[in-house]
Amino acid sequence: MAPSKTDQQWSVDFENARKHHLFSNPPKDRTAYPELLELVEPHIASFNAIFKDGGQLEEAIKDIGEKSFSDRHGNRLSLRIEKIFYDKSMLPPTNKVVLKPENRKVLPAEARERHSTYRGKMSARLNFKVNNGDWQSLDRDLGYVPIMLRSSRCHLESSTPAQLVNYKEESEEFGGYFIVNGIEKIIRMLQVQRRNYPMSIRRMAFKNRGPGYSEFAVLVRSVRPDQSSQTNALHYLNDGNVNFRFSWRKAEYLVPTMMILNALVETNDREVFQAIVGTAQSEGLGQRQFVIDRVELLLRAYKVYGLHSRAMTRAYLGSKFRSVLQLDELTSDEDAGTYFLRKIVLPHLGADNDKYRMLLFMIRKLYSLVEGESCEDNPDTLQHQEALLGGQLYGMIIKEKLEEWLNSLRYPLNEWGRKQDWKPFTSQQFQTDFVPKILARAQGEDLGKAMSYFLSTGNLVSPTGLDLQQTAGFCVVAEKLNFFRFISHFRMIHRGAFFAQLKTTTVRKLTGHSWGYLCPSHTPDGAPCGLLSHLAHKCKIATQSVDVSAVPKLVAGLGVSDQVSALLENSMVVQLDGRVLGYCSKKQSKVISDTLRYWKVEGGHGVPVEMEIGYVPHSNGGQYPGVYLFSQPSRFFRPVKYLPLDQLDYVGPFEQPYMSIAVTDPEIVSGDSTHVEYDARAMLSVVANQTPFSDQNQSPRNMYQCQMGKQTMGTPGTNLNYRTDNKSYRIQTGQSPIVRSSSYGSYGLDNFPQGANAVVAVISYTGYDMDDAMIINKSALERSFGYGSIYKTKVCDLEEGKAGRGKKNIQKLFGFSPIGTVTAAMREKLDEDGLPRVGTMLQNGDYIAAWHTVSYDNATGEFDNKDGNTQFFKYKDDELAFVEEVRVIGSETGTDPLQKISIKLRIPRTPVIGDKFSSRHGQKGVLSQKWPATDLPFSESGLQPDVIINPHAFPSRMTIGMFVESMAGKSGALSGQAVDGSPWQFDEKNTAIDHFGEQLRKQGYNYHGNEPMYSGITGQELSADIYIGVVYYQRLRHMVNDKYQVRTTGPINSLTGQPIKGRKKGGGIRVGEMERDALLAHGTAYLLQDRLFNCSDYTKTTLCRGCGSFLSTTPTISEFTRKKRGALTVRCRRCAKLADNAAPKSEVWSDGQGIRYHGGDNIAVVAVPGVLKYLDVELASMNVRLRYNVDR
Amino acid sequence: MSSYAGADTTAGASNPSGANNLSATEIDAHQRAVSYTCGDCDQDVQLRRGEPIRCRNCGHRVLYKKRTNRMVQFEAR
Repeated sequence: MAPSKTDQQWSVDFENARKHHLFSNPPKDRTAYPELLELVEPHIASFNAIFKDGGQLEEAIKDIGEKSFSDRHGNRLSLRIEKIFYDKSMLPPTNKVVLKPENRKVLPAEARERHSTYRGKMSARLNFKVNNGDWQSLDRDLGYVPIMLRSSRCHLESSTPAQLVNYKEESEEFGGYFIVNGIEKIIRMLQVQRRNYPMSIRRMAFKNRGPGYSEFAVLVRSVRPDQSSQTNALHYLNDGNVNFRFSWRKAEYLVPTMMILNALVETNDREVFQAIVGTAQSEGLGQRQFVIDRVELLLRAYKVYGLHSRAMTRAYLGSKFRSVLQLDELTSDEDAGTYFLRKIVLPHLGADNDKYRMLLFMIRKLYSLVEGESCEDNPDTLQHQEALLGGQLYGMIIKEKLEEWLNSLRYPLNEWGRKQDWKPFTSQQFQTDFVPKILARAQGEDLGKAMSYFLSTGNLVSPTGLDLQQTAGFCVVAEKLNFFRFISHFRMIHRGAFFAQLKTTTVRKLTGHSWGYLCPSHTPDGAPCGLLSHLAHKCKIATQSVDVSAVPKLVAGLGVSDQVSALLENSMVVQLDGRVLGYCSKKQSKVISDTLRYWKVEGGHGVPVEMEIGYVPHSNGGQYPGVYLFSQPSRFFRPVKYLPLDQLDYVGPFEQPYMSIAVTDPEIVSGDSTHVEYDARAMLSVVANQTPFSDQNQSPRNMYQCQMGKQTMGTPGTNLNYRTDNKSYRIQTGQSPIVRSSSYGSYGLDNFPQGANAVVAVISYTGYDMDDAMIINKSALERSFGYGSIYKTKVCDLEEGKAGRGKKNIQKLFGFSPIGTVTAAMREKLDEDGLPRVGTMLQNGDYIAAWHTVSYDNATGEFDNKDGNTQFFKYKDDELAFVEEVRVIGSETGTDPLQKISIKLRIPRTPVIGDKFSSRHGQKGVLSQKWPATDLPFSESGLQPDVIINPHAFPSRMTIGMFVESMAGKSGALSGQAVDGSPWQFDEKNTAIDHFGEQLRKQGYNYHGNEPMYSGITGQELSADIYIGVVYYQRLRHMVNDKYQVRTTGPINSLTGQPIKGRKKGGGIRVGEMERDALLAHGTAYLLQDRLFNCSDYTKTTLCRGCGSFLSTTPTISEFTRKKRGALTVRCRRCAKLADNAAPKSEVWSDGQGIRYHGGDNIAVVAVPGVLKYLDVELASMNVRLRYNVDR
Repeated sequence: MSSYAGADTTAGASNPSGANNLSATEIDAHQRAVSYTCGDCDQDVQLRRGEPIRCRNCGHRVLYKKRTNRMVQFEAR
């Protein structure tokens, strides 16, 4: 082939030869599917942003700053982190056997195969000094931190497909996830409040904050450069006062807003008044009485504190918050106040003046909300949301763990001081002890362990809570069930676990704001509906700030002023990333936004095209107006065409509601539309895009298909041999769908086929297709239609849960005991090494590995077995399986003997009656009969259907798309061409039916897709023509073999004697109250008796007719009759009397202790439920006696 | 088939059920090396009981067991 670059353009055609070539020659230059890589871009880029120069972590270290501790002599120890080092994944230095550097790399595939974590070493360069001495530096190991695949710390970062195949990866591996203990984990994206935008909120719960509090507040989620956030809130009190609220380390604090304003800058009441109400000369001051009254009160109420200067206010704040902020005693109050302002008050802004102006703006917005001049903002729309990316969260956690680590030095320092009689930090003893006795004893140095814990459990262990509303569920397993499911994990975005509990449904609603960003049809139905969404496939997420340094100047040039006018329409704010640039008039604001928009698309003016220009026009009681510019990461944005320049523009969800974007060219309204969509299909997610003709379906059916597409047995990947998933499904005979959407090729979905094209007849043929059942042609099944397998990996670990490594700690070895006897039965499935033979068949109870205990002999250097016993791991599943692969896993050091093996088993799953299938239109059904081909109806050309479905599946579900697919598939199959099944190709004038009908007619078939058919049994022509065509069918992973549950007898609960529950344990299905009622209503008493009693805890017991009790009946020994034929006789102890000499000897009996009784023989044998006896005993233990009246 | 088929463990050398035991060379099986395939360089790796698990050639830590030489035959259904 010529050295031209790998083609990256894909059409809807099959392009078999090209795909075949790509498979046999993975490209050595670049991937053929760039769009696939773009889908996971937010994950990888956000991870890279942590560690790049000037990235999140460097900003975090800056923000952590110096931590200082004091001794009892006024000496101060200062600590800071200078730099963090993060290596790629390498063998540890303890491995001395691998010498070649290229072999020392630990690749992701090895982590998967060894069930270990793909991680790199992290270390910190720590600086410390005592008093004003020189900084001393030392490096500390922070453990091994998991690495995201294909990130800048991964060996695969810029690998070509050819290299990836060599590295045992998918040729199109796109990374974006972590490997923890061999399991692929992904940090889910989270929808959070939009950063640096003060939002008006009206919430009744705010009233509960205390007396005087109203429901009004302005909330801003202020995000620091290191992406950690701090929420600030201004609460309106009913008297007009405003309180500033923040939470710090999970505790909430309230401060008068005026105090913060006074602490930020040197100001006075007049200045504050004019900044909120408007300058004295501005027009309309007379209409502002509402605000004037409140500002007056605001100013007056603050007077009681008697704080008069900036320094004094800061010192006051510092004195109150010093201990909250964990500052040492040597810091002055004023410095503590400054620290408070830096850390807590609007930390997204650096300059105090900016913070001051922003706070004043927030107060204005708050008063405007209370007055009713503007409305509250809806926090549940995408307009006020952004995405918290996995990498950002990861970086935030690293930052917090680092800060905690430094803070935790307090305890070992104290400990050292106590032991050393409070020697000063300047002493020689301190110098020698600092590293070994203080640093080494600090908690939380093992960052790697903390990060692995976070990824493997998804739990956030944090003293601050990271300003998030949940502590669990951040990470999910990236299941590679099929490709749809896998890719969906990366496009998934969650609203937050907190919202799942809400009773109201407002958070789940689909609003117009999310058009183009979140897919309207790809969300699950049921509990997480609307909370768990998926990104539209063209939606991008910003992962870094764009350069907007020129923007403030440009805005100033367009005319904004510092002065605020009294009227809202004359003082429209212009903000850049939550920084007030100035105020302007209503007219000017429109000009500013339009001009910036033009410049941003045109380029070359210092206005980046990714910047969002949120122009909120002035309205009558609508959203608070202004021009809000956003340039920072986490924003959603999507490409659309800007009409004035006919060029690419990016729009975001904040600006979108106030823009006029035409969906199609004919929709463009001259003078109104500014933008037009490139393709309406961009609003659908990757998976929703693959539903053919989804525009013709009823919308819930498309939602169902999005769910079912992800449950299909498909092709999880091409590197199956190197994967060790606990369970993975694979279909053996996947096909490329004849009808596919326009994006099918560019996402490379033919690499992961998930179904087969089937000839489907819509006919009620035998009755076996009633109620969503389907009949499959038996011959089709024999030709392997829908044939699949399950791969299961079983790990046999000899040192499970033990940390100790090294030869001396080894207590078990694989293999047969060298001194024991090995029988043929033991060797049936096992080789001489005690591991299973590859290819062998396993059934329940078979041995899959042998092991024996050993102890290490120091003298000979060998492992001796003393007891001669060989023990076994067994195959415990009920299903027949074949050993596919046996992996012999060594330790990282390369010096330990075998302690862990991983066995991959293959379970064949040919379709059986009861297995679930579905078309791509939410039309699922179960296989009800494998119908012999000879008895199936046939068409005039002799064609027989593969699948028969019932016509009743259609009228109520209205999946017209499936009919169209059927015709399109038929026509495509006849012509040998793939058919474009993308939605929105047809309209009322140019219908799909007509398009494909004409094609069918030209191919010699009926225009409507019907055909005359003949009964397979009688050979007679069926009286109706049958709709028959080609539809792509998926086999779903729900199979009866995993679900069936039957029992007559089986394991029981030892206490109650009732059957246990659980399919795995061979338990029963509960016949509950409702089932009981149904049986009762049917009069099926015998069945009821059988289910509830005979098959449950049927017990025969003896009962005393006299006293009516179970308990006092007891087995007895008769004095004279020896060994009666029957069982022991039972007498009632309670009713018996002590035998005296008068008692007839033949009736006297004695108990176990030889005490003689007579009487008590009025005993009956009854059948009762076992629990009744148990209840009787329980009650007896509480001195409650049950009495059973026995008549007969 | 041994009557011991269901047993989880076997008794030590004192077990007298010699009839079903394997020949002397096979009892000595633990001394013999079993050959595996390296997961990285695809070379043969001979390993004995208790030996460290790594490829002698490249030091790789994952080895694959080879497919059995025994005839694998199942009843077709």
